[in-house]
Amino acid sequence: MSFNPVANEPIGAYFSGRRTRLFSILGLSVALVAIVLLATSVGSVHIPILTTFSVLVAKLPLVDIAQTWQGTVETIVLEIRLPRVILAGLVGAALATAGATYQGLFRNPLADPYLIGVAQGASLGAVIGFLLPITWHNLGFSIIPLLAFIGALVATAVVYGLARVGKTVPVTTLILAGVALGALLGSIVSYLIISSGEKMHGIVFWLMGSFSLSQWSEVGIVLPYVATGTVVIIILARMLNVMQLDEEQAQQLGVNVERLKLILLAAATLITAASVSFVGTIGFVGIITPHAVRLIWGADHRFLLPLSVLAGAIFMILADLVARTVLAPTEIPIGVITAICGAPFFLYLLRRRKKAIF
Amino acid sequence: MKSKLHRIYTVFLVSTIALFLSASCVSPPESALPSPIEVIDQLGRTVALDKTPQRIVSLAPSNTEILFALGLSDRVVAVTDYCNYPPEAEAKQTIGGFSTPSIEEIVSLSTDLVLATSRHEAKIIPQLEDRGLNVLALNPETIDGVLEAIILTGMVAGVEERAAELVAGMRQRIESVTDKTDGLPLEQRPATCYVVWHDPLMTAGSGTLQDELIEKAGGLNIARELTDYADISLEAVIAANPEVIIAGAGHGSGADQTFQFAKTEPRLRDTEARRHDRIYAVDVDLTSRPGPRIVEGLEEFAQFIHPELFN
Repeated sequence: MSFNPVANEPIGAYFSGRRTRLFSILGLSVALVAIVLLATSVGSVHIPILTTFSVLVAKLPLVDIAQTWQGTVETIVLEIRLPRVILAGLVGAALATAGATYQGLFRNPLADPYLIGVAQGASLGAVIGFLLPITWHNLGFSIIPLLAFIGALVATAVVYGLARVGKTVPVTTLILAGVALGALLGSIVSYLIISSGEKMHGIVFWLMGSFSLSQWSEVGIVLPYVATGTVVIIILARMLNVMQLDEEQAQQLGVNVERLKLILLAAATLITAASVSFVGTIGFVGIITPHAVRLIWGADHRFLLPLSVLAGAIFMILADLVARTVLAPTEIPIGVITAICGAPFFLYLLRRRKKAIF
Repeated sequence: MKSKLHRIYTVFLVSTIALFLSASCVSPPESALPSPIEVIDQLGRTVALDKTPQRIVSLAPSNTEILFALGLSDRVVAVTDYCNYPPEAEAKQTIGGFSTPSIEEIVSLSTDLVLATSRHEAKIIPQLEDRGLNVLALNPETIDGVLEAIILTGMVAGVEERAAELVAGMRQRIESVTDKTDGLPLEQRPATCYVVWHDPLMTAGSGTLQDELIEKAGGLNIARELTDYADISLEAVIAANPEVIIAGAGHGSGADQTFQFAKTEPRLRDTEARRHDRIYAVDVDLTSRPGPRIVEGLEEFAQFIHPELFN
């Protein structure tokens, strides 16, 4: 299972070499901006692409364009599509980064952002929120994302506490504790769902995940968490490389393994929890994106992490674009699209490579 | 996940192909009661009974409403957890959820007729039949289907006359609406949006009872191009600019979330419905339950969509 990315990578990836990868980061950043613009221009209602651009550009400072479009168009572009696209990008980036972090930290290719209880904790929190006799409009905000967020953090903290052996937290124990607690919480969620009566459909839809009512206020709440967590993780990328050696060896090289583990877990959990709270647990992005990036650009976390941020954002925006346009005006659950688009692409990469990865 | 979804009864009309047309073909009921009864139910099954059933179990809220409306309350021995109308139904013993009735309970009640739906076709009905129980399946997907279901239940339970009266009364109420709305030209039919759920935004397309109610009440369903209950994007609703928005609401706290959404979602502010404050809440039990109260749903829709004609 353990591997040495630094020794492995020059032969492994398609685009290795420092300069190529720096250019790739630049290229993906440009592509991300282009895809944000594209995704904002396309939707179930036809709005000419030039009109969309005008609406967007008119909002930039120091630009003065006379308004030739209807108010409805502006509402659709600026209040429906743009926050949705940005939220999708943020969530995609967060899940891909968290996935890459977990995979590196656990040295396990099957690790995904939901491995140690985040998803089940968030689900339980959300379900409790649905079942509470409080209605969101009376409070002026939704209690469900708040409880989901708390649930995700508490579940992960419990897993971490359970997995502690003396002063260390062995990764295997962590995974096992995560899986066991996840199963326990999952069964509680299932029971609550079947006994939830007429609130059931709201819960089920929440669990399936959706961007359909994304608003700027949600972007405003998710952004700080995702930005902070991602920056922390990227700063620690070099340490994550060292962690790919034996934990003991890393320790000998002067890395405080336990503290690093705690910081990385906390950061990855925080960004996952923030994302999941608003859009539900969207599968596949967190596990597939880092693998795809690793296959293409190699396993050095200094590049893997920023490339995963960009690739995750691009993938999620495109998946959401497909979800809301293919059968427009009907929308398809986003999780269906991430799996249908993600899995074949990943299998293609896997077959072309024809050698063991990870 | 899928099976859970299937439990949502507001989305329950989806699966089976309607065979209600064949349901009207009934074998000769010439002999006097009590005599062998034989009908073809709404799933196309032949149902034969030796005598009039005395211990009936309902497997759906709509079935329970039909049974009570036919004056069969004394013969109903058990209903589902979701059967909340009429209030007397809540006092009945329950045999579990709509999709998860307990076979054991049903058998132990020495039931002689189970009133099922298309939802029970794959798993529950075969199990009940294996245990020698009589099962009548109702599958009304339209208002006419509801009327047929009532007639069919009346025949099997030996209360044909009561069923005929009930149906005649319902027909009359339906016609008093459609007489005024049938001839309305397109431009006098307000664009109407029915909101099933708000997150994700879900509406009722063609093939749903709500679509038929909008049409019969003289409106134009903005989602008529979609089929069944379907997710719809907020921008599609804004672009369709509905003049009337009807939100499904249930009992209990928090169940009017959909209505609150329609009333307060800032991005709907420029729709005609919001400008003229034509956002209404309707009890989902009236609009999604294919039972006798569907006419009440129709009358409410008519008042929402054409207040000038119905008041």
